[in-house]
Amino acid sequence: MTKQSSVGAVSHSRARLAVNFLGSMRLAVSLLVLLAIASVIGTVLNQQQPYQDYALKFGPFWFDVFRDIGLYNVYRTNWYLAIVGFLVLSTTTCLIRNTPRMLREMREPDAIVASAYDPRGMANNIKIISPLSMDSATHMVAAVMRGRGYRPKLHDRGDASMAVIARKGRYNRLGYILTHAAIIVFCAAALYNADIPVKLAMLVGSIRPENNFHIPLSEVSKDAWLPYNNPAYRGTVTVPEGQSTQVTYELVGNGYLVQPLPFRIMLRRFHVSYYSTGMPKDFISNIVLYNNEGKVLKEANVRVNHPLTYKGVQIFQASFVDGGSLLKMKRYMLNNPGADAVYQQARVGQSIYLSGTTYKLKLKGFSLDNVVPASAIESRPSATDQHINLGPSFTYIAQNKSGSGAEFKTYMQPITRDGQSYFVQGVRTAFGIPYEYLFIPTGPNGNIGLFMKYLSALQQQATADSSENTKSYVLNTFKKVVAKYAPSMTVDAEAAYFQSAISAILQLKAYPVPFIVTLTGFDHRWAAGLEVTKWPATVVIYWGCAVLVLGIFILFYLPQRRLSVVLHALTDGTEVIVGGTSSRNPYEFTKEFEEVVTRLRSVLGNQDDKKENVDG
Amino acid sequence: MASSQADELLTLTKIEAEGRWINRLSKLDLLWFAGLTVTVGVLVDVFNSQFWFWQYVVLATWYVTLVAVGIHWRAFQVAFLTVLSAALLGVWLYSIGQTPANDIILRYVLQGYAGVMWMIGFLLAATSAYVIYLFTLSEKFGRLATGLTWAGVLMGFIGLGVRWRETYIGHPDWGHVPVTNLWEVLVVFCAATSLFYLYYESRFKSKALGAFVMPLVAAAAAFLVWLTFVQHMDRIAPIIPALQSFWMKLHVPMMFVAYANFTIASLIGLAYILGDRSRRSGGGGILARALPSGEVMDNMMSKAIALGFLLFTIATILGAVWAAKAWGGFWSWDPKETWALIVWLNYAGYLHARTSKGWRGKQMAWWSFMSLWVVTFCFLGVNLFLSGLHSYGKL
Repeated sequence: MTKQSSVGAVSHSRARLAVNFLGSMRLAVSLLVLLAIASVIGTVLNQQQPYQDYALKFGPFWFDVFRDIGLYNVYRTNWYLAIVGFLVLSTTTCLIRNTPRMLREMREPDAIVASAYDPRGMANNIKIISPLSMDSATHMVAAVMRGRGYRPKLHDRGDASMAVIARKGRYNRLGYILTHAAIIVFCAAALYNADIPVKLAMLVGSIRPENNFHIPLSEVSKDAWLPYNNPAYRGTVTVPEGQSTQVTYELVGNGYLVQPLPFRIMLRRFHVSYYSTGMPKDFISNIVLYNNEGKVLKEANVRVNHPLTYKGVQIFQASFVDGGSLLKMKRYMLNNPGADAVYQQARVGQSIYLSGTTYKLKLKGFSLDNVVPASAIESRPSATDQHINLGPSFTYIAQNKSGSGAEFKTYMQPITRDGQSYFVQGVRTAFGIPYEYLFIPTGPNGNIGLFMKYLSALQQQATADSSENTKSYVLNTFKKVVAKYAPSMTVDAEAAYFQSAISAILQLKAYPVPFIVTLTGFDHRWAAGLEVTKWPATVVIYWGCAVLVLGIFILFYLPQRRLSVVLHALTDGTEVIVGGTSSRNPYEFTKEFEEVVTRLRSVLGNQDDKKENVDG
Repeated sequence: MASSQADELLTLTKIEAEGRWINRLSKLDLLWFAGLTVTVGVLVDVFNSQFWFWQYVVLATWYVTLVAVGIHWRAFQVAFLTVLSAALLGVWLYSIGQTPANDIILRYVLQGYAGVMWMIGFLLAATSAYVIYLFTLSEKFGRLATGLTWAGVLMGFIGLGVRWRETYIGHPDWGHVPVTNLWEVLVVFCAATSLFYLYYESRFKSKALGAFVMPLVAAAAAFLVWLTFVQHMDRIAPIIPALQSFWMKLHVPMMFVAYANFTIASLIGLAYILGDRSRRSGGGGILARALPSGEVMDNMMSKAIALGFLLFTIATILGAVWAAKAWGGFWSWDPKETWALIVWLNYAGYLHARTSKGWRGKQMAWWSFMSLWVVTFCFLGVNLFLSGLHSYGKL
């Protein structure tokens, strides 16, 4: 403790109290544990979900409470940042307080003989009696120490006594400085990436997120636009093939912010490649960057794990959706199968009204490939692990005015099963239950036209003449239809077709809508979800990490070890007292110390050893 | 006079030289060093055109680590060479067109699946042997337990090595290091924990701790059996695009080596607590007789945690580097990431309390033991109960 002058002693001691508090180990350990506990919250509760989900989960009262304490985005709340801030403050205090002392200690000459270096006061110590003179014993001791990586310093203590002080790993304290400095640099860089100016602007209210997700960019309120020269951001944007964007969107709370980009991103093409199991293997966006004048800046393929970097802005492949593929459909009416099929086309995401019905069709999605295990299709699965691609399919929801409807998954290409080809469609009347599959046999021209003709003929027959035996008229009608529309069919094919047609007719009894929509063509268009990030401080963070690892290594594995030897000249030899201590791993050090002592005994020609040898 | 001075100087120089670590190495160590150096030289020569910067960094790190670990712990040299040659034998058998269906060695020993089954068997047997050793203190069982553990470790790593090759067979684009699903990482966990346990056992000469560490490994092995026979997770499957990264083969195994060290430290903590109780209650108990002294266990604990902490830090950073490539940011507050941070903070707290405050003994043993739950939740719980980006290990 240094003496204080009475002037300003109160404020002085208060500051000291604060510094002592901030630099105390108790606070540091408490903060580490507190931060750990606070971090748990955000893992238990799914973060940054739509607010409606939370409202549904917690009810109106708790929803408000949790929102106000920021549980929906814990790691960006002020109180969480405050804990981190305190930890950084505490680390800084420790570092500032300890660094000068540690640097001094590192630089200090080893030959200072203080009581701290008295070998008898050290954790390990032992006495050896040597027949050698003090001078040569001293040199021997120094040589042994040098051999083991210590740097011995000799010190003449007068009165026929010498001291050898040696130290190894003097830079161990550097480990402390490096680790703690790295943490501070790391946190500062992370704060920079977290875009503090924008957070402040939001706090003040000069930037307000837009909550309406269904308006075009031009109608987004100007308050939701972030500055063009924003130093750091991380947003996402969905770009359909052939289109481009000059902004990215940052989700904030219940809304979003718009971040203008220094270039225009055009998605030229998006491609998914698959494994033989149908699992996606790669997502590739072929993008082109333009400047405002339309000049091409860069062109590249962006893949998962392989982002594109341009002038500090990184573009990542994040997701993909259908970008509004054009679907060409052909509709057959079940209640009037004889009528001509109706052609219609629309894009995925659109809804269309069906002429002549009360139904509305909502085109939900399109998928180019459908890879399934072969066993799902073949009644007799051939080899294991065989997969087949069923080709394109699309899903739609058909709904009539009264609100009743169903969801359909329709395959474009006929699927062959046991020699007969079928038009296949999954039908479900409630969301979430599995599809039930309808199999309608396709004729020689690959569509269900023949089946519809047969259906129509049957209906006409049924209304015209009901006297004929049911079984025979079903078969006779079939023969007539085949003779008229598909005369090239073989007898076997006819038999198979007839069998399948009958079961399809039975299946259709439970069909929820009076029409079947098939897909005749498409113009596929993907949209890629891209993540656009500008985090200039990331490089600093990596360097901070490297320094942190180096610091931890030094701290744990290059411990500071001291040996201190005092030699006293005796009448016929030298008394050698060896002491040693380590900043870490006393157990390991004890082993090293024992080795050193064994070595010293042998080179110093220890008399006790000699006696033992003679006796033995 | 001058000559005697020269003589003395020569003696001193000799004494100094003899002490140097390089002169204390045995011939075997030098051979190990030379063999690795030649191997690395050949690798660089062959792959020179394909390697990029980080591959050189990784190769250099492997080289330095293997040299250092082999010299520090001689048994490792034998183990490494055994695993390498057996795995290469398996790969060679595949390369000459043999398959598990027509080759008896592949079917029953060397194919990845068989190796792992052997590992499970050996480790379960080793656990029983360690428990018997604890109660009887019979040297015979002690040696048996250690031998069985070694056998399990070797078979586990051989199985993983051969499985790595197997992922390419029949479907070259599936190929991956076998650390991509829960089954594969559990194999890594069992083998790594046992290997590190063997290291601490040989270093601190204490077999009794096996009865504390190995039961957890046995539990993991039993879980592995369930995953194999009920969930069929041993099947080789292709990996999703996010996992197709250079960083995966560094990040994942290193994480599990860190987990292995934390687990060992936790279970030594448990041994410490129980041993302490046994000593206090009169000192005549089995634990009081069998377990090493509290000081030694305390030291083992802190060594394991220090090594685990270093590796965990590096592995987390590697994960961040990977995330920056795959997810667009080095940190996304994904539940797994956050739990990794929690584990890190927890052990940072432990190390601060130990080194700066000098806490020792029972309270630190409790801290270490309770950390087992934090680590286990980070490893398993997050995947089982929470959703997020890291959902590869789902059941």
